[in-house]
Amino acid sequence: MSQKRLYVTVCNIEMRFRTLKTIPLGPLVILLIAAISSVAIAFWPSKEGEGLIFWTFAPHHARMYGPVIEQWNKQASETDAEEIQMFVLSMGALNRRTQSGMWANTPTSDLVEIEQPSVARFMAGPVDEVGFYDLTDRLHSEEIYEQLNKPSFAPWSSRGRIFGLPHDVHPVLLCYRADLVEAEGIDVAAIKTWDDFEEAMAPLISDLDGDGGIDRYALGLWFTSARDVETLLLQAGGGTFDEQGKSIIASDANAHVISRMVRWCIGPNRIAIDAPEFSPSGNELKLKGRVVAALMPDWLAGVWMNDMGDLGGKLKLMPLPAWEEGGRRTSVMGGTMIAIPKTTRDFESAWAFAKELYLSPTLAKKLFESNHIISPVVNLWDEPYYAVKEPYFSGQYSGLLYIEQAPNVPFRTSSPFHQVAMQQIMDAASALKSYAESNDAYDIQALIAEAKRLLKAADERIAQEMSRNVFIAGQAVGGDGDE
Amino acid sequence: MAMSKAAARQYPAWVPYFFLLPFLGIFLIFIAYPMLLSATMAFQQNAGPGVSEPVGLKNFSWMVQDPAFWIAVKNTTIFAAASVFIQLPAALGLALLLNSNRIKARGLWRMIFFAPVLVGLPFVAVLASLIFEKNTGLLNVTLHALFGFDKEFPWLQEFVMPALIVAAFWMYVGFNMIYFLAALQNVNKDLLEAAQVDGANAWQRFRNVTIPAIKPVAAFVVLLSLIGSFQLFELPYLMLNESAGPENRGLTLVMYLYQQGFDRGDLGYASAVGWVLAVALFAFAIVQSAISRRSEADA
Amino acid sequence: MSTIPKTKSKGFDLNMLVVYVLLVVFAAITLVPFVYLLFSAFKSTESFFSFVLWPIQPGTIEDPSPWYAVDWTGFTLDNWKTLFLEAGILRATINSFFISSMTAILATLFSAMGGYALAKYCFKGREAATWVVLGSLAIPFALLIAPGYQLLYWLGLLDTYTGLILPGVAPAFGVYLFRQAFISSLPDALIEAARIDGCGDVRIFFQIALPMVRPMVGAFLLITYLATWNNFISPQIVIQSADKLPLSVFVAQLRGPYGTSWGMIMAGTLVAVTPVLVLFLMLQRDFIAGLTAGAVKG
Repeated sequence: MSQKRLYVTVCNIEMRFRTLKTIPLGPLVILLIAAISSVAIAFWPSKEGEGLIFWTFAPHHARMYGPVIEQWNKQASETDAEEIQMFVLSMGALNRRTQSGMWANTPTSDLVEIEQPSVARFMAGPVDEVGFYDLTDRLHSEEIYEQLNKPSFAPWSSRGRIFGLPHDVHPVLLCYRADLVEAEGIDVAAIKTWDDFEEAMAPLISDLDGDGGIDRYALGLWFTSARDVETLLLQAGGGTFDEQGKSIIASDANAHVISRMVRWCIGPNRIAIDAPEFSPSGNELKLKGRVVAALMPDWLAGVWMNDMGDLGGKLKLMPLPAWEEGGRRTSVMGGTMIAIPKTTRDFESAWAFAKELYLSPTLAKKLFESNHIISPVVNLWDEPYYAVKEPYFSGQYSGLLYIEQAPNVPFRTSSPFHQVAMQQIMDAASALKSYAESNDAYDIQALIAEAKRLLKAADERIAQEMSRNVFIAGQAVGGDGDE
Repeated sequence: MAMSKAAARQYPAWVPYFFLLPFLGIFLIFIAYPMLLSATMAFQQNAGPGVSEPVGLKNFSWMVQDPAFWIAVKNTTIFAAASVFIQLPAALGLALLLNSNRIKARGLWRMIFFAPVLVGLPFVAVLASLIFEKNTGLLNVTLHALFGFDKEFPWLQEFVMPALIVAAFWMYVGFNMIYFLAALQNVNKDLLEAAQVDGANAWQRFRNVTIPAIKPVAAFVVLLSLIGSFQLFELPYLMLNESAGPENRGLTLVMYLYQQGFDRGDLGYASAVGWVLAVALFAFAIVQSAISRRSEADA
Repeated sequence: MSTIPKTKSKGFDLNMLVVYVLLVVFAAITLVPFVYLLFSAFKSTESFFSFVLWPIQPGTIEDPSPWYAVDWTGFTLDNWKTLFLEAGILRATINSFFISSMTAILATLFSAMGGYALAKYCFKGREAATWVVLGSLAIPFALLIAPGYQLLYWLGLLDTYTGLILPGVAPAFGVYLFRQAFISSLPDALIEAARIDGCGDVRIFFQIALPMVRPMVGAFLLITYLATWNNFISPQIVIQSADKLPLSVFVAQLRGPYGTSWGMIMAGTLVAVTPVLVLFLMLQRDFIAGLTAGAVKG
């Protein structure tokens, strides 16, 4: 007992001193970190702003919006309008927070930018219960609807109602290595269809380093890229749901496109290489001239100019080759809207700011000059800043080329089942690739037959999934009710 | 856990609750309440903005019908199996290599093998997504240079699970090695020697002396690995650019839950998935603790 | 493979050679991604896209330059300049230090308290509490995201450090580990003796019980520190202000939806990894001792 007694005595007085001295290094270091960082945080307070909260997901949007907001806030302080504070959240964070807030019916932001692939999840309930303000009546009564490019509304519309102001048009052209193509003496003006394209570009597909493997391919796209597949489906008149909200998953157009894409990517007729955007591998392939042509929406042109300056002067744009003679020569890829959550503190101010931001001519100019993006405001398309020779695209009037195709961009659905349906189509494409490989079947007719079978199964699967939704089962959603 | 009755009575009744209070408070607010909420939601269909409709057991019956759910089960099981049957034995192997006191600079080796776990999941995922890329990814370039391997080998398109398993192996093998290293301290050196004198070969010594000694730790590590495997989400999600990969090849159970809840906006269904997963994991934990209790009793 | 000290042979030892070869191969595989990270953080965007490791002087496709012809102009400090001077990574680093250390300290304290209660007291509901602890290990985090957001809104904790720290300060895993540690390394007799001498329960906990599980304290501090440091999803739910974001999210946001400065991301990753690497180097003895204390008697 005496030992324990001793221990307890220590506990009574000296222990406090001893523990301090013998505090092990680990806790000590972490305590130190806590102390120092607390002091740092205390003396470096975060900015506490005031006013309506505006969330965007793209840092380069934020850079463009900065001056507009500054101007707005200056005027706001003189009048009674609300100020705006902008926050950049990563796309995932923005979606998660907006959704969480809507579920919990708690405020999130007063204004929010949503990207096209993310929008469908917000449209899954009854149309009155969508978490964003229905802007349809405002758009018509304030005569904004007429000013904008019609197809740009489609992704933000559900069951005839419009829930956001469109940021862009995003027409797609084909970008190609003019230096290589012209050196080979290929006349791109003669390329009207994808058939023509395959034929004309064949000589460029070659083994550059003599190791027996092909290094350069005509097209930079891949059948596993949802973005590539969707763009081409839409161009061909396929996709997931049509303007009436009817499923077109098992359409002939879809079967044709995925068969052709699979044939482009594997087998003896291969013309494509996987060169994904924003990835080191994709960019390296482009920089090294191993990709001759690529799908190029207006925003991607801006990205290339930024990320791959070395390609400047070597590239040119042309309308997409059509799927059949006289067919559509463009498509659409990506897109953003600004929406106002129903939990906003002040709808009128938010709406006024949204219009100021998206419809302003100064921003349209900046949008084009810094990101090469075409404004959806139709009467701005005559502005002189679009009509300039772009050195990056070998002196072409690239802005005008995009504007020329802008009215032709295809309709896009906002069906809450779009993403699932797209996933099913992508899976069908993957299965088709396995089918082709295991049966050594690269003949287009055989592929189309198999593709139809796969897509039909996908269609049934989606029908099943849609019938499970108790809110909108049987309704045609995602169609643009105005048509 | 023998406790004398005298000790048990010498404190006011509130004392144990006082010690437990912070945990219980946080648990009740931040875990129990959301879990209860999700338990009611599991029987509803939910369409984003605060809209829900009771659907009885339909969420569960749809789950059983949904091929994607079974793909997720399959992938998650494969991953868990790889963790237990590939990664843990490798970790044990590393620990055995390092256990000999004839190895020079053991601390340095240990540090090297342990370092990857310090990188953290989000960063490992980004690194891995670059390393596994086609054409220019470090892995394919190296394999191409060394063995003439196909430069376009589609890790992240068609061999997603192997890529995931390799990435997780890289990250966690050193971490698990630490556990085994400590466990090997429990191995009785005299017993090993005696066995050798008796003519037992290396395998027999390992089987009959080392394994029984490290069993409790191994059981603990297996449990941690299983729980971790069944919670797998961020690594594939970020490696595959916030998707499940082609044909759901990288879909895991928690990712399925996440996709259903957030990408498709049906939190009710996601809750049902979450509860199924939680109950399954809980069952694991019970079985595991029963087994380890039995082996404790054996010892 | 369990080597036995006394079988030491003189001179060349084939076994040891095999062991070393295995270790070297394994270490090489482990370290390669770090080397990749290191090179990438100092490369310009162009050379990042063009070279896996170090940039090589331009050759032609027919006559490529050899691997050793390093192109020094491909290296740059721009990533670092932008990160610290423009992007504001310093603030994110301080945030990470603050959030991680606070969470670690509180989580360790509360876990130890909870584990102590479960290990050393008889009380009504102890069995149930133990099951709750075990059970919450099984809860998938993604399930809690949406209700968690609602809660934080109600509590007024959205976009605050508190909202990020508080839900993580009493992890079930920690309670479980400390329970194990107290059971195995704190004799009841010690507590009894202290009580006889009139030591209060709170004082017993801090001055007798905690020092007995010191390795676990060190290890768990590091474990929670590391976990919080690399936490990725929750900050994205809780925080909206850029100047409160921790490093993990900050670096991921460098990725942006359009266009990516990979060199900067790699530099940011290096900034995020270095402090924990240093911390671990300093504390590894504590860490290993404690990490295993929970498991050994598991």
